[in-house]
Amino acid sequence: MSSLVTAKNVSKYYGNLAAVDNVSFEVEKGRILGLIGPNGAGKTTLLKAVLGLTDCQGQLSVLGLDPFRQRKEMMKNICFIADVAVLPRWIRVSQLLDFVASTHPNFSRSRAEELLAATKIKKESKVRELSKGMVTQLHLSIIMAIDAKLLVLDEPTLGLDIIFRKDFYGNLLNDYFDGERTILITTHQVEEIENLLTDIMFINGGKIILDSSMEAIPDSYAELLTSGEDAETARRLGPLHERDVFGKHVMTFENVAREKLVGLGEIHTPSVADLFVAKVKGAAA
Amino acid sequence: MINQQLALLRREIWEHRSIWVTPVAVATVVTFLAIAVVVAVGAFGEAMNADIGKIADMTAPENVRRAALAASLVGNTSVFVMAMWFLTIFYCLDALYAERKDKSILFWRSLPITDAETVISKLLVVFIAIPLATFAAVVVSHLLNLIIVSIWLATEGANPGRMIWGAVPLFDTWAAVLSILLALPIWLAPLLGWFLFVSAWAKSGPLLRAVLPIAVLPILEYIVFKTWVLGEAILTRLRMDNIPLFDGMKNANFDEDELRSMLTENLSLVSWLDYGAFLTSVEVWAGLIVCGVFAGGAVYLRRYRDDS
Repeated sequence: MSSLVTAKNVSKYYGNLAAVDNVSFEVEKGRILGLIGPNGAGKTTLLKAVLGLTDCQGQLSVLGLDPFRQRKEMMKNICFIADVAVLPRWIRVSQLLDFVASTHPNFSRSRAEELLAATKIKKESKVRELSKGMVTQLHLSIIMAIDAKLLVLDEPTLGLDIIFRKDFYGNLLNDYFDGERTILITTHQVEEIENLLTDIMFINGGKIILDSSMEAIPDSYAELLTSGEDAETARRLGPLHERDVFGKHVMTFENVAREKLVGLGEIHTPSVADLFVAKVKGAAA
Repeated sequence: MINQQLALLRREIWEHRSIWVTPVAVATVVTFLAIAVVVAVGAFGEAMNADIGKIADMTAPENVRRAALAASLVGNTSVFVMAMWFLTIFYCLDALYAERKDKSILFWRSLPITDAETVISKLLVVFIAIPLATFAAVVVSHLLNLIIVSIWLATEGANPGRMIWGAVPLFDTWAAVLSILLALPIWLAPLLGWFLFVSAWAKSGPLLRAVLPIAVLPILEYIVFKTWVLGEAILTRLRMDNIPLFDGMKNANFDEDELRSMLTENLSLVSWLDYGAFLTSVEVWAGLIVCGVFAGGAVYLRRYRDDS
């Protein structure tokens, strides 16, 4: 079984509002999937369903288990960081290591201590005495010392400065990701994780509006920088979205062969952020 | 399974330091009081020009000394019991509320521990850890108090070895104290279960949300039905002397003969406790069932609540 997460027609309603609206997708083993969407798009709800934190309709299987009903079994092989501030503030670093070591069967205390030794975090410190960046380092050190099959990161770097964010993702790729593990990330800072991802999934209004591997993006999407007459010609090809930059037009095309665009201007593969805007706004238009 | 529960218990003691700080604080205060009393009695004796220690040594027969010592130890213990009563209630109100307030619940729930296991660890704190921590403090406090009095008696020229240590029914008193400390949360179980439930449910102000229904519902019952069933049930639980462990003492009539025989025979507190009545009491078991229902509700809330 290479599919780690399988969702078939998964929905989650809050009253009449569908936070997740009949979505289906699969996450294969060894992938790094970015789940991208605006606030209130249903990202967090979908992650909560995957983590067994909320019940949902439809069929959802994670590591072959029902995340809500077989949660304990599943959590032996899943780690998640929901937000930077969730470590209890009263606990000492050494106590935290003791606790995780005695409750998590796949936790390597020596690995965590190795990772912590590379930071300025002292074992006798309490979490409340640490800076926000250090708390994340601590959390990450614990998570990275757990031999898990799936790592879920929900806005892991929210509120952290840019140097720290770079280090965070650097560590994640170099020390953690080994091709066997699978990572699921949501973030607003798409640019920072773009090079990291093997797959992306856009979610808006509770629906998945794009689900693709990064390699497949250039085949389906193209961005054209154009002006004047060419712009008119290009517009007839039906761009998904168009925006103006310094008097020029930037058009995003979906499933339009690049040969048709040749000669009309500069052709690029859109960045994830631009593609996201094009998909969301294009769908709204 | 057992290791995990031990880890969860240890976690509770790290987080809720009041579990051991409260009994230690009470023991400290009680010990200072004992020193103050000894100093005061000594000063009184000096003022009266009387050798109190020696007088006591000469006059009091052993079984009276035994009874007097047991009574003083029980008096000392009652302060701990009161403190434990409050400690247990406030612990229950905080147990499942603090983790939501500081949002650490998401971290705890990222580990392979079920909600039921977490709630069970909180119940173990209430029914076992708090009584045992209190008991340990009581034992230390008793010993300290007896040592302080012994030192004073020795300086007064009396023989503390015979007067105190030869007479004091330490193990009998401790067995009785431990029984009472373990019985107290069991007797309070339905209320404690309710407090635990509120701590899992309340979005804010768990104390008010826990106490208000307890205060208002009986009054409503009285206004609407002109009955006082709920009020009676709650008040019964709040009074410690209603614990069926004390049934034997309640039914006994302490007339002069009985009191005299108590003092002439060797007094035993344990023999006064009615373990049979406690273990077979419908009220005790019904209370535990109510507690179980509320605890189940707390597990359900922790598992199904979705704050998004």
